[in-house]
Amino acid sequence: MFTFLASRVVYTLVVVWGVSIAVFLLIRLGGDPTALFLPPEANAEEIVRMREALGFDRPYLIQYVDFLLRALGGDFGFSLRQQQPAMGLVLDRLPATLELGAVALALSLLIGIPLGLVSATHRGSWIDRLAMLVSLFGQSFPAFWLAIMMILLFSETLTVLPPSGRGGLAHLVMPGTALAAFSTAIITRLLRSSMIEVLQSDYIRTARSKGLAPRAVIFRHALRNAAIPTLTVVGLQVGALLGGAVITEEVFAYPGVGRLAVQAIAQRDFAVVQAFVIFSAVLIVSINLLIDAVYVWLDPRLRQR
Amino acid sequence: MKRREIIKWLGAAVAGAKGAQLSAPVFAQAPRDTITIAQASDAQTMDPGRHTHFPTANVLFHIFDALVTVDEDGRFQPALAESWSNPNPLTWQFKLRRGVRFHNGEEFNADAVKFSFDRVLNREFRSPMLARISHIRSVDVVDPFTVNFTTAAPFPTMLFSVVEASFAALIMPPRYARETAPEVLARQPVGTGPYRFVEWRRDDRVVLEANPDYWGGAPRIRRAVWRPISETRTRIAELRSGGVDLAGDIPPEEVAGLNRAPTKVVDVASDALFFFAFETLRPSPLQDRRVRQAMHYAIDVDAIQRAIMGGYGRRIAVTLPRTAFGYPQDMQPYPYDPARARALLAEAGHANGFALPLTARQGRYLKDREVMEACFGYLSRVGIRVEARYLEQSVWAQVSERRGREGLIFGGWSGMDADLVWYPLLYTGQFQSYYSNPQLDALLDRGRSSVDQDERLRIYRQAAEIIKDDAPLLPLFQPPLIYGLNARLNWRPRTDTMINLRSAAFA
Repeated sequence: MFTFLASRVVYTLVVVWGVSIAVFLLIRLGGDPTALFLPPEANAEEIVRMREALGFDRPYLIQYVDFLLRALGGDFGFSLRQQQPAMGLVLDRLPATLELGAVALALSLLIGIPLGLVSATHRGSWIDRLAMLVSLFGQSFPAFWLAIMMILLFSETLTVLPPSGRGGLAHLVMPGTALAAFSTAIITRLLRSSMIEVLQSDYIRTARSKGLAPRAVIFRHALRNAAIPTLTVVGLQVGALLGGAVITEEVFAYPGVGRLAVQAIAQRDFAVVQAFVIFSAVLIVSINLLIDAVYVWLDPRLRQR
Repeated sequence: MKRREIIKWLGAAVAGAKGAQLSAPVFAQAPRDTITIAQASDAQTMDPGRHTHFPTANVLFHIFDALVTVDEDGRFQPALAESWSNPNPLTWQFKLRRGVRFHNGEEFNADAVKFSFDRVLNREFRSPMLARISHIRSVDVVDPFTVNFTTAAPFPTMLFSVVEASFAALIMPPRYARETAPEVLARQPVGTGPYRFVEWRRDDRVVLEANPDYWGGAPRIRRAVWRPISETRTRIAELRSGGVDLAGDIPPEEVAGLNRAPTKVVDVASDALFFFAFETLRPSPLQDRRVRQAMHYAIDVDAIQRAIMGGYGRRIAVTLPRTAFGYPQDMQPYPYDPARARALLAEAGHANGFALPLTARQGRYLKDREVMEACFGYLSRVGIRVEARYLEQSVWAQVSERRGREGLIFGGWSGMDADLVWYPLLYTGQFQSYYSNPQLDALLDRGRSSVDQDERLRIYRQAAEIIKDDAPLLPLFQPPLIYGLNARLNWRPRTDTMINLRSAAFA
């Protein structure tokens, strides 16, 4: 078990390093930010002078080594546009995004798990068909479309919910729902199908035939096994929620990291994009590491390795 | 809960709701003391010397003042400077307003002006706005309320370098700015403006409160809240539901929906310019003046303006805003005349048309791509097949830096003086120029080396004739600035896209 987790940690570090190279090169593919930073009347000479001052004239390799060494010391550089430390800008907005992500994750678990269970145990019933229809919608509607439709209905027509910003719980309802739609749908479908599979297996039939209460069969025996693939997907969904937050936050003008990232990309604010992507990578691989640990706890077979 | 209790609760709730209804009209009649403005993006910094970003400038313009300002008609008006003159062609002398104090109590005087400009003119400071002010050789204190701005060559457009739209020209308190670390200056602004800084929650809001001692009179609205909302639909929803009182960047098709209570729409033709530039320096059909003129005749600009801009904005006869200094008011645009266009093309030996590359960025200006595509539709009718290459912003910047723009170029420029538009776009060898004409160069040189404004008007009139006839730029129109407003808000937009709340008031 220790070697299993240790190999996972090493793997995690390699992934983050790879991500740092990828983001460094990808953001530079579209060109450097100097000319966009200067007013239109700046001439070639002024652009060159500013580029040298900002250090974007150096070879990529040198820029990357410089960036990597500083980053290892915790310095992710300065935002060109905002003149503040880049990682600080990301971390400042983190509570807002975590709040939104937590609401979305809670919503998708609270709706997805019961719905998946009920559709599996009442397979073919009207509730199963309804759940599948709703989750089909949830999976196929793009988040921004859902977001704009909700704004039109609840803010502009009914005026019951604030269309944008961050404040109380009311500000989380629409962005939380828009963000949760996809993961709710996927959790429902996945849990349903793995439950159906497990419920047909021999040990469940045995448990039933020896007269165990249906509740105990479902929760103690079936759900525990059916939960493993679902758990994997929940882990992946955390990453998807962070990615989805980029769009959702932009539509609802919600002051989180996703919005920061979108604007930083548009303005080619390299330091901020790098800080955001590396932070997200660390977050996502850490969550996957945590999920690996939970597997070990759920699946006794892994403990013996 | 027992039934009786439920009824009691319901009764209380109904009474409460009635109470709220009774008090609602009272609220409605009370003067609103907060204005909320929605812009497409948040401020980037609170240091006026370190950005090139209009939404940032709009916020800072309420905390700070510049030496001069412009009114809604684009005319210069006194601000921190009460008057100005040219003692000689190389000097602009400003007489400053007395009795003005910064929000922290520091006195505004000539030292503050010198300090503010020296700070951003210093190359070590690396202000991104340096290009706008770099003609200023030195700023000298004559007496506590007089400053001289000296230039190496006569600089007739000086006022455009010291107005608020020249972002780095806002005046800062010297003692505070010297004693404060740059990172703090970027968060805690202190100026002379009509509003004082209260708080800035990044990506959420900037809150300002009225400065009761403002030299121009305390603003009528006590608090100003600036919110960044990038999605157009969301800005409109906030406006319609009363969360926002003023929202910019409204597309023309939304006007009808917003022009009914509780909102309304105001618009103005911006001083930005939509036009095509022709790459005339390398061999191509575009080197023939007849071809360039033919393309003017081929496009029905009025129809495009009606269909895509909803009729908003302003048609231009030459590439210059109609209210700019030097615009030839009596000049007519080329009429829409496709037969004439075909005749000119045939005369130039292109009766069968030709293919023409386009270099443009998209999504930078209001409906830029739609306008371009509409123009290409008209051009194809006279046989000119445009092969469009739309570039992403930073790629466009790189192509431009290599001078790699080809064929037809969709520009985008602004400037309220002929020198600020024609010199960079048409003078031989300028970074943005893809044209060369010694006769025009001579006129543009004369226009920028005199501070006699009447003489300049005569020079630019001649220049306009050449530009229209030789046709190096294909002028379309000034796109509109459309704002959605709370119907009770009295406010007028400015052509330079700056938002000014100094005289805004709720009815």
